[in-house]
Parts: sequence; C-alpha cells; structure tokens
Amino acid sequence: MPNPKLTRACAALALSLVAGTALAAEKKLTIGVADALTGGGAVYGLPQANAVKMAAEEINAAGGIKVGADNYKLDVIAYDDKANPTEATNAVRKLIDRDGVKYILGFCCSGSTSAVASFIGNEKAVMLVGNAAERSITTKKIPNLVRTRPPADYTGQAAGTFIARKGQKRIAVLGALDVGFYAQYVDSVERELKKAGGEIIAREVFSLKDRDMTPQLTKIRGLNPDAILVVGYVEPAAFVYRQAVELGMKIPRYGFTSGSEEQFLRVTTSEQMEGVWDLRPTELTLLSASKNGVAYHANYTKKFNASPSPSSPYAYDQVYALKAAIEAAGTVDNTEAVAKALRNLPVPSQVVMQYQPVDGKMFDSNGQAYTSNGAFQWQKGQWVFVEDLPSDSKAYSQFLSTLN
Amino acid sequence: MNKSLHLLPWLLGLAVLAMLPQLITVKYYLHLSILALIWVIVAQGQNLIQGFTGYVSIVQAGFMGIGAYASTLIGLNFQWPLWLTMMLAPLITALFALATGYPSLRVKGHYFAIVTLAFNLIIVIVLVNYSELTKGEAGISNIPKPWGGSREAFYYLALALAASLTLLAALIARSRVGEILLAIRQNEDFVAAIGISAWKYKLFAFVISAMYAGLGGALYAHFQGFINPEIFGVAQSLDAILAVILGGSGTIAGPVIGAFLVVFLPEILRFADSFRLILYGLILVLATIFMPIGIVGIAKSAFARMTRRGGQHGG
Repeated sequence: MPNPKLTRACAALALSLVAGTALAAEKKLTIGVADALTGGGAVYGLPQANAVKMAAEEINAAGGIKVGADNYKLDVIAYDDKANPTEATNAVRKLIDRDGVKYILGFCCSGSTSAVASFIGNEKAVMLVGNAAERSITTKKIPNLVRTRPPADYTGQAAGTFIARKGQKRIAVLGALDVGFYAQYVDSVERELKKAGGEIIAREVFSLKDRDMTPQLTKIRGLNPDAILVVGYVEPAAFVYRQAVELGMKIPRYGFTSGSEEQFLRVTTSEQMEGVWDLRPTELTLLSASKNGVAYHANYTKKFNASPSPSSPYAYDQVYALKAAIEAAGTVDNTEAVAKALRNLPVPSQVVMQYQPVDGKMFDSNGQAYTSNGAFQWQKGQWVFVEDLPSDSKAYSQFLSTLN
Repeated sequence: MNKSLHLLPWLLGLAVLAMLPQLITVKYYLHLSILALIWVIVAQGQNLIQGFTGYVSIVQAGFMGIGAYASTLIGLNFQWPLWLTMMLAPLITALFALATGYPSLRVKGHYFAIVTLAFNLIIVIVLVNYSELTKGEAGISNIPKPWGGSREAFYYLALALAASLTLLAALIARSRVGEILLAIRQNEDFVAAIGISAWKYKLFAFVISAMYAGLGGALYAHFQGFINPEIFGVAQSLDAILAVILGGSGTIAGPVIGAFLVVFLPEILRFADSFRLILYGLILVLATIFMPIGIVGIAKSAFARMTRRGGQHGG
C-alpha cells in the first residue's frame, strides 16, 4: 500500500521539476537593431529592421534558439540612427548600457557603422553589419564584428569587367562620389576598364538629397560618352535615369543602387527605366532568388504590405547566422565565444543571399562574407537577373587581409 | 548676501553634476551627459557671438570640425601627445576664424548668417574631398582616448572644461568688452558713433566663439574615437543656435540648459519611433514661438513676479 503523503510529495516534486524545466526552457534573448529608420538612409535601413523582426518571429515560431536545455525566444529592440555617426553611437550605447543587449544587427550605412565599429571592439557585444559597403569596416580585424554585405570595390571590379565586355569605352560617371564606398566602386570599375582600353571621361557628383541632375547630365551629354554609370542611393539615381530619358540620352545606363522596383517607380516610370542595368551583389530579385529568397519575398510582402528592398536580406541573414553561432557556441552570455563561432560558421541553410564561402566558412578571417555579383536589367517593370558577374571571393579576401 | 544667493544655483548645479557619475547606474546616461557637456562649451561659444553680440553665426559645427580634425591629424601624423593636440585645436580654429571673420563681419544681419553658412558648407566640402588627409566620408577611427577610454574620467574633464569656459564667458560678459558687445547688439551704429571700433569687438567675439567650438570638437573626437565630415554639418550648427535660443539667448545659464536639451531631447523621444523627429521639430517650433526669451528668461520673469508679489504681501 503506497503512502499517500509520499505519493503526493513525489507528484509535487515531479511537477515542480517539469515546471522548472519548462521555465528554464522559456528564456528571452533581446537583440538590438541600430539602423536608419528615418531620413535618406531609411530606404535601406527600414527594410533591414523589418527583415530582422521577421527572422526573429520565424525563429520564435520554430521553437527559438536552442542552447543546452534552454530555448531562447528572440525579442527585438530597434533604434533609429538616422545614418548619422553621433546618433548611431548614442543608439548602440543605449542598447548596450541601458537595455543590456549583447547582439546588435542592422547597420545599413557606412558613416554611422564606422562610428560604432570604432568602439565595438572594447565591448562585450557582437556587431553584425548589413548593407554598409565601406571597405574599411572589415579591414581593422575587429574580432566581434562581421558583415554580410561584400565591400563595394569587390562588386566594382566585377562591374568594370562586365561593362568592358559590352564594348563601351568612354564611360561618364554620375554619382554620390563624396561617399567613400561609391568612389571605391568607381575606382574599381575604372581599373578594369583601363585593362580593356576604356576610360572614365567624367566624374560628376550629386549629393544624396539632390533631385535635379539635369545640369550634370547636360554636361555629360556634351561629352558624347558611350554609356553612363550611376552610383548612389535609390532616389537620386532614379531621378538621373528619368532625367536622362527626358534629355533624350539614348546610351546604355549602368548603375549601382540596389533599389527595389517599388522604390524606383515612386520617382520614375517603368518605360523610363527600361534597359537600365544594375551591377551589384546578387541580392534579392524574384528571378534570381533561391527557394529561400522566394519565400522571403512572399512573407515580407505579406507582413509589411510592401516588397522587400533587394539588400534587406543582408539583415535577415544576420539573424540566422547569429542563431547558428549561438547554438554552435552553446552560450548566449559569452559573446567572445559567439563571435568566434561566427568566424567558423558554414553558411546556414536558411539564408536568402547566395554567399560564396571562403574555405567553407560564411565569414572570412576579416569577418567579411561574400555574395556572388550579378548583372540585373530592368525589363518590363521589373529587375531581371541576366547573368553572374565574375567574382573571386577568395582572392578578394586575401587582398582585404593585407589592408589596415 | 545677494551675490551669494546669485551663486547658489550655480554651486548647487555644479555639485549635482560633480556627483552625477556616482548617481548614474546606466552608463548610457553618462555618455549623453559627456556629449551634453561638450555641447555646453560649443553653445557658450555660440552665445558670445549670437546672444551677446547679436550676430547669428551658422558655422559653429564647422569650427568644431576644424578643432576635431586638427587635434586628430596632428596627433596621428606627428605622434604628439593628446593633451598638446587638444590645446592646439582651439588655437588652430582661431586662425581659421580670424581669416574668415575678418571679411564676413563686414556684412550684417542675415547676410552675415548666410556668409557663415557658406563657410560651414565649404569646411564640410573640404573635409569630404581632401580625403588623402581626412579620409573623406569614411572618416577617421581609432582616435586616441585619454585614460584608456574611461568615461568617468572623461566626464570630469568635460565638466571641468565646461565649468571653466562658462566662468570665462561670464567674466567676458561682465567686463567692458562684454558691455560693448551688448551695445553692438543694441545699436552698432551708436557704438561706432562714440568712437569705438565695433569690428574689433565683433571679431574678438567671433574668434573666441570659434575657439570654444574648436575645443568642443577636439573633445568630441577624443571622446567618440571617430570623426567624419557629416558630424560637423550645417544641421549641427543649427543645433548650436537652437541650444542658445532654447536655453536663453544672452544669458550665461541659457546655453548650459539648451545644450542638455539638444542632446537629451531627441534621445528621450526615441519611444516615438519614426515620429521622433516630427515631435522634436514640433517641440522646437513651439518653444521658439512661445518662449522666445528661452527657459532662463521665463524662469527669471517668473521669479521676478513671485518676489514682487511676495514683497507686496510683506508690505
């Protein structure tokens, strides 16, 4: 005859153990986003912040991040940095010092990202950079920083080869050349053009807030170039494409913008965009997308009632890379271990971008990831992936390692 | 007795600020307080030319940039000690201010504002395009920080400098020079009519104002460890003007209050997400319309009303 008191005690103990396990299993991991949610950089920053939130929800719905016996559900705090260095520093200080966040994602724009990168090495935190393309962000060998987007000159090299192969010799550039990474892109294009006997005959500048580019275009038209190359944020680039047509310029138009169809069509018409090339990392377009990419596009559109910008998966992929790194490191508290695990990570199966791993790893020793580069052309209202651009991630990674 | 009473709020304020690092548990607020103290220096400089002399200058952030880049580049390229480069920064900024102030102070009113605005734009353009030296828009990182980057120590440095320069501004304001600056603000032609070379005093105010900004810029660079041209644009010069207007133009306490407001207000409003800037703009517009004499001006008139009423009751 069992002792009823002992049975009740055993039952209570078992219940408390089960409850205890359940409580231990349900933990919360807060991750932060610092990005341009307002201002000129918001065309990149806002979709990135949305992408992080969406990835976090997906991970939570699938059970969270498993660390030993615990299951961590992700909670996202997003702060606006207006793509401004001081604001970005304030936002990240708030995330680390006040909110106790250890993992900070987003970072669409180079100036604000560089400001945070300058001190993140001293923090017990991990910084995952997205769309910011300035090369120097990953030349400083910061152990707790990784970046999903390749530097601009990695893409510029491939773009230059493509333009040269098209047979155009005299190229006029119009762009935000006072922004470092756009200038680096153009320098790389120029190096490749010169190898094929081509040249850049003009470097006209617009600022990110300019909307009337007809003076520069009129000057360029007078030089009679074979093609124009437009490098800059989506809105000013869209105005250039529109105004080039309005000025009757019927030469090939190349660009480096990473804008979505929706973003371009706010400024210009599909007819005015017809035939424009965008030479950029093989980011998200439906025609080039993998199965993950198609699903990402559909889910994002449904959730936010807008198409995702092509570069937004850089941030989405950050979350899955972080998940895999935390699970590999077996800790959420030891940021050094997680940062180390990121450097040794194979490309996770859930990512959207098509990464070119270096030595089988998503991030190289500099913390830099590489995607393939692609030539996209605007055809009948949408970006169409035409072909891959020649890109050697391993060679570039070695070159990046030589820089300080 | 009356003088002691006048000093009491300052001493209390200084005591609170001195204890702040011990009171603050979240270091983020210490970070913002350091930025605010740097802005106190910049705004006190702005107040000398704008509040006391009546000339609205839109180049204060540009001068901050000159100070920041001067201290950083000299330090990095010649390996000079950080303290020396920080002391040189306001002197180098003063040279630029002399060169720009001499021609620009020949014009008055809105024209002066426009000329200084152009100077700020030129400074940014040079910083962006002279990238061999300034590294352009990518900026300069890993700028040396004093005391191994200790924020507490830097806070006391910023506090000591902000307090000393506020005292210096008060001494200037109470001196004969300060009286002449006020007279220029009231009626420049009258000042000239009594045989005073107004331009010398205007240039003095402009150069001293720039030196404040130059030191503020150097402090910013060695606190943040990163600078790029965007930080020193016209928008930041407008922040310096706003700090003076919000706090109280032509007062010594005004720029102190205004500087804390322009740093803390946008951060406090982060809860409003994308409406933050709209709210910030709205608060600034309303404050400028309904509080043209600034917070200090309102506090002074309220205090005067209260003491009058108290006196009537007593009598």
